[in-house]
Amino acid sequence: MERRKFIQGMVATSIIATITVPTTLLAEETQKAPAKKGPNDMSFDEAVKAITDGKGAKESDKIKLSVPEIAENGAVVPVKINVDHPMEEANYVKAIHILNKGNGNARCADVMLTPANDKGYFATRVKLSKTQEVVALVELSDGSFIQMAKSVKVTIGGCG
Amino acid sequence: MDISRRDFLHIAGALGLLSATGTNLFAGESKAVKERITKLSFSDVVDFEAKGKATILHICDLHAHIKPLYWREPSTLISAKNLVGTPGFICGDSFEKHYGIESGSLDQYFDTHNNFEALAQKFGKMGGIAHMKPIIDHVKKERGEKNVLLLDSGDTWQGTAVALKTRGEAIVDAQNYLGVDVMVGHWEFTYGKERVMELIKKLNGEFISQNVIDNDPFSDEFEELIFPPYSIKEIGGAKIGIIGQSFPFTSTANPKRFTEGWSFALRHESLQEYVNELRDEKKVDCIVVLSHDGFSVDQELAKKVKGVDFILSGHTHDPSPKPIVVNDTVILISGSHGKYIGRLDLDIKDKKVAGYNFKLMPVASNLIPADKVGEQLVADAYKPFDKELNEVLGTTKGILYKRDTFYSTFDALIGQAIQEKVKSDIVFTPGYRWGTTLIPGDKILKDNVYEMTAITYPEVYTFDLKGSVIAKLMEDIADNVFNENPLLQQGGDMSRLTGATYSIKIDAKSGERISEFKIAGEPIDIKKTYRVSSWGGNLQSVGENMDKATPAVYEVVSDYIRSKKVIDISMESNVKVLDYSCGCPEKGAKC
Repeated sequence: MERRKFIQGMVATSIIATITVPTTLLAEETQKAPAKKGPNDMSFDEAVKAITDGKGAKESDKIKLSVPEIAENGAVVPVKINVDHPMEEANYVKAIHILNKGNGNARCADVMLTPANDKGYFATRVKLSKTQEVVALVELSDGSFIQMAKSVKVTIGGCG
Repeated sequence: MDISRRDFLHIAGALGLLSATGTNLFAGESKAVKERITKLSFSDVVDFEAKGKATILHICDLHAHIKPLYWREPSTLISAKNLVGTPGFICGDSFEKHYGIESGSLDQYFDTHNNFEALAQKFGKMGGIAHMKPIIDHVKKERGEKNVLLLDSGDTWQGTAVALKTRGEAIVDAQNYLGVDVMVGHWEFTYGKERVMELIKKLNGEFISQNVIDNDPFSDEFEELIFPPYSIKEIGGAKIGIIGQSFPFTSTANPKRFTEGWSFALRHESLQEYVNELRDEKKVDCIVVLSHDGFSVDQELAKKVKGVDFILSGHTHDPSPKPIVVNDTVILISGSHGKYIGRLDLDIKDKKVAGYNFKLMPVASNLIPADKVGEQLVADAYKPFDKELNEVLGTTKGILYKRDTFYSTFDALIGQAIQEKVKSDIVFTPGYRWGTTLIPGDKILKDNVYEMTAITYPEVYTFDLKGSVIAKLMEDIADNVFNENPLLQQGGDMSRLTGATYSIKIDAKSGERISEFKIAGEPIDIKKTYRVSSWGGNLQSVGENMDKATPAVYEVVSDYIRSKKVIDISMESNVKVLDYSCGCPEKGAKC
């Protein structure tokens, strides 16, 4: 019960972060990349390039990415990301990005964190148009990037 | 496919070459086999080498069959190459070979489709609560009432007219009569959340599930469990922890509206947490997962979760005469439709499972004198509906069965009935694994039609679909059935099509399996719009120009049989399998 309540609180604060931060962040990236493509027109690879400033990200088990094997409803697929990393002044999870490989728009959410968040955790729902991989791309405070991908099956019929 | 002995028998039977009793089937068998079959009795059914002091009895997928029935196992059961020939994906000859089953035996009758029609005459109907009860009573008497548990892996409340018409209540009465201690669910949920909760109150046993949680982000109970995750029982001096797994894909396999606000998934991570909690804090001696995941999914689950002693599986309707052991977990499944009661004896020493023994006890109704109380219970449950359900709609010339990966005669009948009524180009009928079997010459009762169609969403929808959408849908459905990862299968068979034929290469990549798709004999035109009917699934959600009329499938089928009087359905499948030459391949895809 305690854990649930705590997590619920976390989700609430994080959601505010998603709403407020990305606009400025995206604007900044657009300025950096002289190409005409806006952030919402980028392919998956282009989006990763833009977020990591061309550095790319290493696959890491430190990211626990929870998604359903089969989506109950493609329109609201629960995604939970838990990064096993300290949240201290000098060493913390700076950002969690959620991307997808199969929607028209590869970017689902950009979440900025500070040590005050206490945990490198974020949960939300994303919309998936078809069976595809969901990717959690995480920026650490030292400027390095790590990532984890998982496949989610989106289907119309079940046993029917 | 060449003509096997079985095919010959079928033909011979149809031509009236066999005597009415079918006894010349055994003409070629040894005298010893013949005698053993004729001398079978109740003691053969319950014969068991006892172990330890505790016993768990297991049932799964009764599908509300409180009366005995005929149930023919699949004649085609094909999956992805890596799974073919493994328990869960064997049938007929490959099943017999795997388990060493003799021709003409009771095991052959219960476990395979081989010789089915002749053996049905020999051994009679299967299951029925009045025949299950004496087995349960026998074990309780032998082991002591307090040392025996009866666990139910679900799909119990749905599947017959009495279940549908009493919204599950008649079946809960049957469970209370049998003495079900703990259950999980799947089709149970199609009565809707409120009714599920009402019925759980009526159930003397417990309903548990660690994998059903509240899904409404604005609810105070967000992400909280809907049901108790586990139950701890003491039997034979041992402390048994039982964790529940309801069907993980309920909300995609059945309409979401029944479980709005609840979320289903495999949730193996939280399952591991409960295993640890039971071991470390509750100090149980043995951990049992009571599951409706499906046999192959549970074999995968056992690779992911540590510390589970037994998984009592359900959903995929497999009879598994021998346990499957994955890592240190023993996986058992007890068939379907009340055909078996699984008996698991446990020898617990030093707070651990030191030994066990398992057997599927066949509920062969002719070998088990009916319990009078059970017979009365069934009669009372049926009484208000007898007049409707006993109506003879017609007779069938051939066998009407359900189980097969692609095509089955009862489904073909349902498809024909719908197509004749609404004149659609294609009819989709769901690849459920529950239903009934009628043997050649049988009368078709209204009750039998319900046994194939008794669901809480019986509407036949008729709508437009583009050829391109139909092609995509078929690939999507094929990927649910033939995915090489059991976790991405949903445990059903292919949807049955009427009005169309196709070829399939099962081992092809997802999205490229189906070819030569023809509608009314013409290659499918992906740009053309077709009129499609479907029931029991979600296809209508992508359709356009929907018919206002959505007749109930059981009425459509009943009307059709009434008008035809004699039903004669071809045994020939409308699906051509390109990479397998038989329906029951062995390991290595051998036929």
